[in-house]
Amino acid sequence: MSWSRVTAIAGRIVRQFRHDRRTVALIIVVPLAVMALIGYLVGDSGKEPLPVAVVNLDEGGTSPVGAVNLGDAFVRSLRDQDSIEVRAFETGPGAEEAVRDGEVAGAIELPSDLSARLAAGEGVELTVAVTGTNPSLTGPVVDAVQTALRETATSIPGGEGAASGGVTIRTVSLEGVPGLTTIDYYAPVLVAVFTFFFTFLLTSVSFLRERASGTLDRLMASPVSRLDVELGYLLGFLGFAMLQTLIVLGYATFVLHVEIAGPLWLVLLVLVLLVIGSVNLGIPLSFYARNELQVVQFIPLVLLPQIFLGGLVWPVETLWTPLRWLSQAFPLTHATAILRDVMLAGAGLADVWPRLVALVAFDLATVALGVVVLRRQRA
Amino acid sequence: MITTTRADDAAIDARRLVMSFGSFHALDGLDLSVRRGEILGLVGPNGAGKTTFIRVVAGLLRPSGGQIHVLGGRPGVQVATRIGYMPQAPALYDDLPVVDNLVFFARLFGLSREQARRRAEEIVDIVALGPKARTLVRDLSGGMRQLASLGCSMVHDPKLLLLDEPTVGIDPVLRLDLWQHFADLNADGTTIVLTTHVIPEAERCDRIAMIGSGRVIALGTGDELRERAGRQNLDEAYIALRDAGRREGER
Repeated sequence: MSWSRVTAIAGRIVRQFRHDRRTVALIIVVPLAVMALIGYLVGDSGKEPLPVAVVNLDEGGTSPVGAVNLGDAFVRSLRDQDSIEVRAFETGPGAEEAVRDGEVAGAIELPSDLSARLAAGEGVELTVAVTGTNPSLTGPVVDAVQTALRETATSIPGGEGAASGGVTIRTVSLEGVPGLTTIDYYAPVLVAVFTFFFTFLLTSVSFLRERASGTLDRLMASPVSRLDVELGYLLGFLGFAMLQTLIVLGYATFVLHVEIAGPLWLVLLVLVLLVIGSVNLGIPLSFYARNELQVVQFIPLVLLPQIFLGGLVWPVETLWTPLRWLSQAFPLTHATAILRDVMLAGAGLADVWPRLVALVAFDLATVALGVVVLRRQRA
Repeated sequence: MITTTRADDAAIDARRLVMSFGSFHALDGLDLSVRRGEILGLVGPNGAGKTTFIRVVAGLLRPSGGQIHVLGGRPGVQVATRIGYMPQAPALYDDLPVVDNLVFFARLFGLSREQARRRAEEIVDIVALGPKARTLVRDLSGGMRQLASLGCSMVHDPKLLLLDEPTVGIDPVLRLDLWQHFADLNADGTTIVLTTHVIPEAERCDRIAMIGSGRVIALGTGDELRERAGRQNLDEAYIALRDAGRREGER
């Protein structure tokens, strides 16, 4: 081993980075951005509460220490939680209607004999109604219920019965088709993310090569229009991108037995629209990358905000308002939402068309962006 | 009396052309008129502005100042159909055979699939790549790539051919062949503007424009330039004329 040669190689790498400021900037910015996002999402501050419908029918009861109304205590405890916003409803069906309409993330119904049964040491079943298509909404609601039960059990004299064991939480899925498993819940997210990711990678690197090899100069010195280039790329990659997409979807369906409750053509339409946006996004972004390394560095910047903020893992509903608006500009937000509704709840075109319009708008915006960026390549 | 050529008569007419990149002026008031039907050589050291000029003419760069007319129009899509551009690096699709590259560029210039295929077959013969027509570009030698690149720039029978360093890295035998191709094309009426920093090579051009610091230092035939500089060879003539120009500029 020659130490001087080792240091020569190491020194060269460091010196190269000194002349590649953008790569260094990305090395610093990307992890900071990612960690800031995660810190925000798992933290408590800066988030909007999730609206939850509560129907409190509890008539109270008598415990060994006197009269108690555990339902009221439970609702008070729910109201004290920052993560949710309690909306009182008179009847169970009314609350479930609000869940179906997307006004609230879930509906909790407290039976009239809640206090009485718990005081008598009997078990109670608490019903939490959710849409059942979006696990990112179900989790926080169930968490809030569990927290409220724990607090009721410890802070109210005679409320011990609300502790674990006394109350079982039954989640009812209002929209999802019966028999959904974990893989079903995550399939829409996985299909959408991989479709977007694979396609983006394919085109952005290819277009970078076009630019680096000088063939783009030749293209631009010809009478070809910028829209021709955009559409040509789209058409050329569409087949390959859809092949990848169909492999992902086919594997999910046939091997993992993922449910597709709604129309298959609607699922495919969403994926085609997603692929179009992804192909077109690759072209403008590759203009800001000087080399393949930078394209790869762009991936977390393009993908992670969509995964984190697009309702794929954490609910969009609790995001700080400007971030929630931002999430509406992401194709993955809409694609996953549609895929969840169609695959898990059997939704049809009439239910999801506003989000389809959003996807089409994103596609058109990326074409326009590509055409604008290509202008810099020509006088 | 000063006679000015009308922009329409010249293949390229550049007046006080300026191309700035930040504070750097790659072209700094360049005046040059290229006659239709001539072979004009742009000579000068690296960084003189030769490639920048070619890229402005090809419509890839918008000049920061001055005027430019190419084949009677502004550089851009309208005149692009009549211009052939060969970039410095052989800009080809490595993963495609030579003939597919040719067909692709021919179709960009509006030839039908069938016309493009026929034209591609003609071109591979013209640039002597017939036996390699179906070879992937990545498997070609450097010189052959250069030939394929030349082929791609003339596939649509342009009236004006812009060649940026066409003979770089080419062996002497192939270089003679290339110059023969240029002469043949020129005989058919194609105006050719090429850059080279091998100044003696420019002797083969009808006229030579000596470029330095983004301007034309001198323009004329090889004999005229030698005579004006009072030097025996063009390299020395270049330096003499450049220095004379600087002294004039200082005065």
